[in-house]
Amino acid sequence: MVVGSVVRGCQVVVIGAGPGGYVAAIRAAQLGKDVILVEKEERLGGVCLNVGCIPSKALIHAADLADELRGAKKMGLKVEGLYVDLPQMVRWKDGIVQRLTGGVKFLCEKSGIEVVHGHAEFVSDRKLAVATSDGRVDIDFETAIIATGSRPMGLDGFPHDGEKIIGSSEALSLQTVPDRLVVIGAGYIGLELGMVYAKLGAKVSIVEFLPELLPDLDPDVAKALARRLKQLKIDLHLEHRAERFEEGTPSVVIAQGPDAELRVETDVVMMSVGRVPNSDALALDKVGVTTDEKGFIQVDDRMRTSIPGIYAIGDVVGGVLLAHKAYQEAKVAAEVIAGEPAAFDNAAVPAVIYTDPEVAWSGLTEREAADQGYSVVTGTFPFSASGRAMSLDSTEGFVKAIADADSKRLLGVVAVGRGVSEFIGEATLALEMGAFLEDVALTIHPHPTMSEAFQEAVEAALGKAVHIVNK
Amino acid sequence: MAYVFTFPDVGEGIHEGQVVEWLVAEGDAVDEDQPLLKVETDKAVVELPSPKAGTVLKLYVAADATIHVGEPLVTIGEAGERVPDDVGPTDSDLPVPEPDGSTAAVAPPVEAAARRPLATPRTRARARKLGVNLQGLQGTGAGGRITDEDVERAARRGPSLEIAAEPARPRASAPAPPVGGGTVMGTEDGEVERIPLSHLRKVIAGAMRTSKQTSAHVTHVDEADVTDLVAHYKKSKPTIEERYGVKFSLLPMFIKALVAVLRQYPTFNATVDEEAGEFLLKRYYNIGIAVDTPEGLIVPVVRNADQKDMITLAREVGDLAERARSRRLDLSELRGGTCTITNIGPLGGVFATPIINQPELAILGLHAIKERPVVVDGEIAIRDMMYLSVSFDHRWVDGAEAARFMTDLVRLVSAPGLLMARL
Repeated sequence: MVVGSVVRGCQVVVIGAGPGGYVAAIRAAQLGKDVILVEKEERLGGVCLNVGCIPSKALIHAADLADELRGAKKMGLKVEGLYVDLPQMVRWKDGIVQRLTGGVKFLCEKSGIEVVHGHAEFVSDRKLAVATSDGRVDIDFETAIIATGSRPMGLDGFPHDGEKIIGSSEALSLQTVPDRLVVIGAGYIGLELGMVYAKLGAKVSIVEFLPELLPDLDPDVAKALARRLKQLKIDLHLEHRAERFEEGTPSVVIAQGPDAELRVETDVVMMSVGRVPNSDALALDKVGVTTDEKGFIQVDDRMRTSIPGIYAIGDVVGGVLLAHKAYQEAKVAAEVIAGEPAAFDNAAVPAVIYTDPEVAWSGLTEREAADQGYSVVTGTFPFSASGRAMSLDSTEGFVKAIADADSKRLLGVVAVGRGVSEFIGEATLALEMGAFLEDVALTIHPHPTMSEAFQEAVEAALGKAVHIVNK
Repeated sequence: MAYVFTFPDVGEGIHEGQVVEWLVAEGDAVDEDQPLLKVETDKAVVELPSPKAGTVLKLYVAADATIHVGEPLVTIGEAGERVPDDVGPTDSDLPVPEPDGSTAAVAPPVEAAARRPLATPRTRARARKLGVNLQGLQGTGAGGRITDEDVERAARRGPSLEIAAEPARPRASAPAPPVGGGTVMGTEDGEVERIPLSHLRKVIAGAMRTSKQTSAHVTHVDEADVTDLVAHYKKSKPTIEERYGVKFSLLPMFIKALVAVLRQYPTFNATVDEEAGEFLLKRYYNIGIAVDTPEGLIVPVVRNADQKDMITLAREVGDLAERARSRRLDLSELRGGTCTITNIGPLGGVFATPIINQPELAILGLHAIKERPVVVDGEIAIRDMMYLSVSFDHRWVDGAEAARFMTDLVRLVSAPGLLMARL
């Protein structure tokens, strides 16, 4: 019990200043609400801005550049003595992070949002206690938005020490490139950072428990990625359960495969086996907010929890753990609180994996469409037939359009290839607008671009692609 | 030892019912308390649970059959056990109903429900704003796309203002045909479809005839300027819904206004014991709410409405209406009313002359709220206006009293401040 605790009041308190939290706070403030934003870290922006999406993309870009320069001889570019100055790369990345988190702080200030730094716990369904560096602050609120996000899951046998056994956060701030790196878990974080360190010179091995790479996606995606992993000399061990880490010279990761035990010598192990919701330290039991068996807070399409006046958004409510899903949920929650008829009723949540080549998708996969009872028609356009892809020296990958064979309504798009992240938004717009294949086929796409492949894939589904032979 | 389960006496003076559907088939294993069949009585559809565990050996009645208290329904015993032959009719005169699985083959595939309505984000947002459910709405745009105009048209069909807890269901025709559908036959004048009357339909018909034959119906109509009430409602609705998680409508305000006036005019909250020659003035206020269900009219009762706040009333009315539509009301929720409200406004019309719910003495009709030009302080103004009707039994209540009753009610709903003072 802290003597002399401070009491504040507000209409809306937002817990967590990641992509969900700060967007919810700003939108609520725009709608005239008096908002307090609580963040336990010193910097705003959450995982995404500080140790997630943004910093990883900076390193991925730098590593890609290095990799391209090494292979640029055939274009008439000879680069000798390319030296990877990792500390400088990390400083450059930190500068970006600083600029962005500073930007969020500025936006919050300009919106009149009060930011309180500290760990928050519910005291009742109308009161929050925040442990700040200056003591306890009690916040009386009318409505609360929980946006506390998620954190990496641990694995028995691999105690995190931040040096030899690290998570993705430390992997974004290493000072030297390890000679050998073992990545546990071939999800999108493991694949992205595994490729980064392979391109920066490490010998990378990936250990994955499942028998397939990205099993929820189109099988052609895994094939394309597996080819590239091989080119990068990354050893992919599927169907191997990582069991323990033996420290020594050298250290060894031991995993159990279907037939035999695998031992991989390594200098550093990066864990990326999944994420767990940050719902356990909020004292939710005091207010009765219900969670599922994994700890994700249960909400309806208006982001309302089981307790009136308490909302939750972003990773902590589950679904796909992506910043842009949190953005949308944040706006819905703030607008519902302001009495507007908002709801999360989106047709599709796009997703991107920044591997090389990139993977992007939106809407239903072929299998999901079939499971929903559609008779499915697909059309595929390979980048090996794209002039733009050739001129980028990036012909790996394809775009596949998935549609209802009866009505010819577009149901989903999956793409693998350089820069496909940039046009998956277009595909998502088509899905939101309820586009039919003809709508996309009759839309002029600029030439030469990678996005032309989307139009061609749709035309292939209609049996009238021009630049490939129709099946 | 095989056990013959007969149609039990479920109370409330119910002597007969109709089998809606069997939930088990011969040969099925059942647990104790597992629902065996659905039976429609004149009050509700009830599920009859199995009194014991065992195997279903024989069903004695088919779906749609009328059953009476004490008649055998099903025999439950050990698998392979002989069925006692001294009960019920023989196989030949009662077909055994098809097991449930027989309809699964022709049921629409699952995707019908899973598929998203074809509408753009803007149209979906508009539908949310106007309270229009896109599921099942027919789009007139390209490829069946639901347009903004479709949504607006659907919204206009619905109520301009919801008095009821839920928007009225748009309905193409009178009550949906009962299970089984009709038989089409040719006549000299053309084809005619014969549809068997549902049990509920017969009960409604009986109740309406009795009421018209019993009471001397008179309907008194007045109009109210509810601009202030509507403004007050619109202002508080988002906060109440957000804070209490309940769909809030104008109906709780009208229930409160009615109760306030009933206190003043006790003969409107009464029955008459003709034999004893006495009024029975009820010192409690159980308000019946007429609910339009796919099968027909059902009137669940909100008990002790005088003792409940509007949030509680909103929650109860929403719950009762929803369960009335799915026929999951308990019999006790359909009895004991002292006065009834029928809210026909959302379905259109100027006003109507509702029939009294016997043995009550009055029924309040809430009619459509519409913006109309009216004279306020010597100037023409646009106001939210509505007609209110009270149908009363002129044998026991005089017209002058009904006029005074209505004048006071109009005064209350016209001035929310006054209404609040009387809560």
